[in-house]
Amino acid sequence: MSGVAPGVAPGTAPGIALQGVHVRLGDTDVLRDVTLSLEARTIAVVGENGSGKSTLARLLSGLVAAGDGTVRVLGLDPVRQAAELRRRVAVIFSNPDAQIVMPTVAEDVAFSLRTEKLPRAEKAERVAAALDRFGLAELADRSSHDLSGGQKQLLALCGAFVRRPDLVVADEPTAYLDARNARRVADHLLADASHRLVLVTHDLRLAQRCETAVLVQDGTVTQVGDPAQVIATYEAGIRW
Amino acid sequence: MVTLYRPGNGPWHRLPAGPKTALLLLVVLGVCLLPATWWAAAVMAAVCLACYALPGAGLRELGRQLVTVRWIVGLTLAGQLVFLGPESAAANTARVAVACALAALLALTTPATELLETIERAMQPLALLRIDPQRAALTLSVTLSTLPVLAGLARDVREAQRARGGGRSLRHFAMPFLVMALKHADQLGEALVARGVR
Repeated sequence: MSGVAPGVAPGTAPGIALQGVHVRLGDTDVLRDVTLSLEARTIAVVGENGSGKSTLARLLSGLVAAGDGTVRVLGLDPVRQAAELRRRVAVIFSNPDAQIVMPTVAEDVAFSLRTEKLPRAEKAERVAAALDRFGLAELADRSSHDLSGGQKQLLALCGAFVRRPDLVVADEPTAYLDARNARRVADHLLADASHRLVLVTHDLRLAQRCETAVLVQDGTVTQVGDPAQVIATYEAGIRW
Repeated sequence: MVTLYRPGNGPWHRLPAGPKTALLLLVVLGVCLLPATWWAAAVMAAVCLACYALPGAGLRELGRQLVTVRWIVGLTLAGQLVFLGPESAAANTARVAVACALAALLALTTPATELLETIERAMQPLALLRIDPQRAALTLSVTLSTLPVLAGLARDVREAQRARGGGRSLRHFAMPFLVMALKHADQLGEALVARGVR
């Protein structure tokens, strides 16, 4: 299946290509024979709980390996070129508490640059700029764990974006947030044209804002294309 | 609550993390070597007061830190009083309290990132024993920053127990807490890998 959306310049870095991919976790085939070619800049992944959406996101992030088939993300093999993938792909999870590593806000953002060989001053500059962009500059010295849920998710975004990734994989990033904070997080994810985005979400209005949508049902990809059409198929198939 | 860095511009803040750690370690070592007498207890207290009296720390902060470790201090004092008498109890309790307070002073005046780098450098010799200093330092840092999360999980479990009319059963608390803590550990592990930690 392929989803090439308008707005992606030809000849840019390759997107996502999966060929006959199987993922087995324990005794369960979580993804079965998934073949995909995605070049759109913003891609929504929708489907029911347990359908395999999060596993697809983790596969693209190199957090789980395919049992069979080939996976290429930005032209990279997530297993053999894991270090390069980590440098270019940022991941955002639904639970912001699980993404906080350092005790204060600024230090947690700086942690993302730990492996980058940059002069100390440049690191500090990038951290300050990222905090400013996400409206966290005034909270720089606050304890990370004392932030509200929305602020924690913005901190997770800040930690991801400070690395200037080429691809952001966000697995239900608005799941724990109220409407206002969900909107803020979504706006940050979708507005920045400097990176591609794979957005796993149950928020169908948010999925509608992406260029392409992927429908995952029972471990297989059943439709790729215009978000409105994909969402219509998804909703038509829901047994209430 | 784990002691956190408080920004400032005092002498302790200006001192680089490495020399500061070494200096405070030496002071703690000196305190440990003093005899268990009344005058030694007074010297220990004076050293601790002097360290906190410098700008950027403050005696009020020392009071807060001592309140934080009051249970450790209290238990040490009680145990020593029973077995060793008042003079040794006072000196040994002062030793423990001063060590805790000076460790807190290091954390209060040093950003966690600098502390992490210092610990990494200090652990370099461990590389000879095939222990990755970066990983060891990170483990320490992640452990400290995970404590508030675990405290939050414990509170959630207790509240859920109360909401369902449960008593103070250790078994009913331990099972869900353990499951949630392990799930958090899984998620944190994935987040660390995603942020470039090998």
